[in-house]
Amino acid sequence: MRRTPRDEAPKALSQPVVHILLALADGARHGYAIKQAVEERTQGAVRLGPGTLYEAIQRLQDDGRIEETAARGEEPSNGQHAQRRYYALTDQGWDVLRDELQRLDAIVAHARANPKLRKGLV
Amino acid sequence: MRSVYRLLLLLYPASFRRRYELELIEAFDDARVEPRYRGIAGAALLWRYLLADLGTASIRQRWRLTREWIRQRTGGGLPHVPSQPRRSFMETFVQDVRYALRQFTRRPGFTAIAVISLALGIGGTSLIYGLMDGFVFNPFPYPDADRLAAIGGTFPRVSSDTTYVEALSTPEYADIKRSRSFSSLAAFDLGNRNISGGDVPERVFTALLLDDLFPVIGMAPHLGRGFTAEELAPNGPPAAIISHRLWQSRFGGDPAILNRAIRIGGATASVVGVMPPGLIVIGTDLWVPWGADPARMPRDTRQFTVLARLAPGASIGSANAELATIAGQVQQAEMAQFKEYEGWRLTATPWAAALLQDVRPAAFVLLAAVGFVLIIACANLANLMLARATTRHRELAVRLALGAARSRIARQLLTESLLLGLAGAAAGLVLAHVGLQFADALIPAQFTMLNLQAGVNGRVLAWTSVMGILAGLLVALLPAIQATRTDPHDSLKSDGRAGHGRSGVRMRSALIVAEIALSVVLLLGAGLLLRSVMKMQGAELGFEPHGVATMRLTLPQQKYPSGEAITVFFEDLIRRTQAIPGVTAAATVSQFPPMEFFSSRIEIAGADASGATLPTANTTIASRGYFQAVQIPLLRGRLFAESDAPGGPAQVLINSTFASRYLTGKDPIGARMRIIARGGPGPWAEIIGVVGDARNNGAAAVVRPEAYIAMEQGRDAWNQLFLIVRSTQDASTLIPAVRAAVASIDPEQPVYNIQTMEEAIAQSAFQQRISAMLLGIFAATALVLAAVGIYGVMSYSVSARTQEIGVRMAIGAERSDVLRLVLLQVFRLVAIGLVIGIGLLMAAGKAISGLLYGVTPSDPVTIGMVTLTLGAVALVAGWVPARRASRVNPIQALRYE
Repeated sequence: MRRTPRDEAPKALSQPVVHILLALADGARHGYAIKQAVEERTQGAVRLGPGTLYEAIQRLQDDGRIEETAARGEEPSNGQHAQRRYYALTDQGWDVLRDELQRLDAIVAHARANPKLRKGLV
Repeated sequence: MRSVYRLLLLLYPASFRRRYELELIEAFDDARVEPRYRGIAGAALLWRYLLADLGTASIRQRWRLTREWIRQRTGGGLPHVPSQPRRSFMETFVQDVRYALRQFTRRPGFTAIAVISLALGIGGTSLIYGLMDGFVFNPFPYPDADRLAAIGGTFPRVSSDTTYVEALSTPEYADIKRSRSFSSLAAFDLGNRNISGGDVPERVFTALLLDDLFPVIGMAPHLGRGFTAEELAPNGPPAAIISHRLWQSRFGGDPAILNRAIRIGGATASVVGVMPPGLIVIGTDLWVPWGADPARMPRDTRQFTVLARLAPGASIGSANAELATIAGQVQQAEMAQFKEYEGWRLTATPWAAALLQDVRPAAFVLLAAVGFVLIIACANLANLMLARATTRHRELAVRLALGAARSRIARQLLTESLLLGLAGAAAGLVLAHVGLQFADALIPAQFTMLNLQAGVNGRVLAWTSVMGILAGLLVALLPAIQATRTDPHDSLKSDGRAGHGRSGVRMRSALIVAEIALSVVLLLGAGLLLRSVMKMQGAELGFEPHGVATMRLTLPQQKYPSGEAITVFFEDLIRRTQAIPGVTAAATVSQFPPMEFFSSRIEIAGADASGATLPTANTTIASRGYFQAVQIPLLRGRLFAESDAPGGPAQVLINSTFASRYLTGKDPIGARMRIIARGGPGPWAEIIGVVGDARNNGAAAVVRPEAYIAMEQGRDAWNQLFLIVRSTQDASTLIPAVRAAVASIDPEQPVYNIQTMEEAIAQSAFQQRISAMLLGIFAATALVLAAVGIYGVMSYSVSARTQEIGVRMAIGAERSDVLRLVLLQVFRLVAIGLVIGIGLLMAAGKAISGLLYGVTPSDPVTIGMVTLTLGAVALVAGWVPARRASRVNPIQALRYE
């Protein structure tokens, strides 16, 4: 059965979810390319196992934040793309990502105001 | 690999699987080709990562589904169903256990078979784990033994091996001490010392300490005290600390031992302490300060073992990084004078791993092998449970129809098999305990010397419990899946045979194929090792060990201070030994094959020394008669002669590997070489002859270049030599006469390490022999279990097909046709299992190839033998059910219709 999007106040997104959304903001990708992009961006600090990745994808899909797309992003290096499913952000997904980034930005801005923390941030 | 991952995906809820299975498998394929996941280590890394991911993700998924399901049930508008009063977790559990126990007592035969086969499997893994725990993982009684590191040197210009025992010089030790990664360090040289002053002189394995070793290993004396700084300083007051076992055996556990003077190698020292029982350092029993001034030792006299305790916050990795920097600095400063520093490395490695690195591969192979036996035992039990699940089919169907939850039934089955697993673990623990009593018989002499203890401890207990639970889960998996798939409609309508029976047979056949495949791996492994042992025993040794006895003598330096005195003693001994009736030849030598040899750097006159590696050779001191005594043939030139007197021009003999490696295209006779050792090059020596290659690097390894120096010439006199005695009679009967000959020269002189040369050779193949024996036992167990499995599945399949067979016979099939029908089915399973098993072994070939000698994993003889054995066993196991099928009476079979 399909989950219905819950009408709750926007909660902070989990770290894997933020990274997946960010990866898709660069263009449509298939699952493994998302994983690779995230690992590259974070220099291996965030590692998405296949289970974690598709679990997050399932959630994001069910909540309408990403969708399967016919559009192809960058060509995978090994040329296997015949069966792969590509995912892209929906309008809602863009909104959620922007909200999240604003939320993070606010936190950082607040932190910058604290002289004790400023040194580590600037 | 991929199919295993696909199977593991079953852990995910079906809805998730349906949507993403293909993509998950593609992701797996993608991950597998990443460079960091290549090779065996990479594969291990990949699986650890995948399993962790799989575990957490699948649990989260299922938890989400469960939460939703509960929400639906509680909040949904479904009509109210009168349900049983809610039971707590504990109540349900107790109920399940009671029910399971009732099931067990009702079928004692099934229960006994289940528990025994699990006990064999689990007991085997616990036994091997216990051995590994005692000998490989946690061999030491020290506190925080895993923070203790050995520091070794690798000199690529001399050799590519890293030695962790006796490999560094005192200046190098001083370099290492600059490191801040270690909180304390000590170095020691190993040697044998004669203790006298009691009834008989005794030779004791001794560590000569540079800095205090005991704080580093974290152990305090049992009696008395450790060394003082004064005693450890060069030329300090002579003091000694003895082991508990030496204290017991030699001094009768006398508490007044402290401050008593004992004679060590002719000098007097005072006993200041007695260590507690257990392994202290590599089986040494006596510890004395090294005594000389380390600052005056040359850089290239490498005789020290360096032990260090990691400082808080440091790791092996960080220590190695710092050691690399130090090695680089030393290379810069010293390379001009000492060429071996070019590219040298200093590495720290956990002490246990450094000491026992040789046995680790065999230990892991055995642990894997015994794991296979356990998996086979589980598969067998799963088979029995599946058979039972089929007979209980109606019961389960009725319960489902009456409204029992599928999860409830799966839980019931799980409880049953977990109980069986735990019972098997308990029985297995008893087996392991008994087996570990005989552990001493399973390990080579060099380890009994280490005084290692293996027994059931907390870690073994934990391991056994985990194995029991895993076995229980593994056994329950398939029956639970099958049971919960039961459709009460179909089951209650039919007689429980048709339809469902077919899928049951398929599942059980798959289990049998898996059992056969794993048995094949074990059989092949055992067969390959057995062939290796046989080849080793038949290998061309280059000398004749039969009829030769060997023993070792160490002359105390105080009594025999000069090379001349030593030579006089040994020449006299050879003369007196040769006079013993029955002795045909006697000689002394510093090392004899197949032991692993002492080697030195050498230099050859006129050779280009700028090559990639500096030449090294085994350097052996041999008396004139050595080559006749062990029958190493002379190939060119001449042997040592009486005319090669002390003080004459230095002369050496070389083996043919030496000639072909270092003197290619030259005439070896008359060429000159010198040995570089102990601070500088020795005198130039002329090569006077070439002798045949003897296996001087262990029976299974390639022969190394070797140079022989005549003992009689008195250069490099060694106070520790082997006496080699060849006789026409049983070598061991000569020992008393040889002892008498020694005593007639010096009654205080002990003789030790007495063994025949054939014993020495057998010992060198120990690892292969013991691995072959244990693998053989495991393989036989696996084969029996697989045979039982085949029998079980075929019996079941025959009874499920009784009607079909009846029909076949009614329309004219002969008994032989039916027999063939059933046996063909057996052989099809065996053939599939065989192919998979051979493939698995080839894939794992790397793990085992280090233990093989003269055979490759694809050895056709072994594969042929295994195929025949398996075929024969399958024939026996399949024959009874096949015959039963051929005896089916068509009239009776059809009457049931």
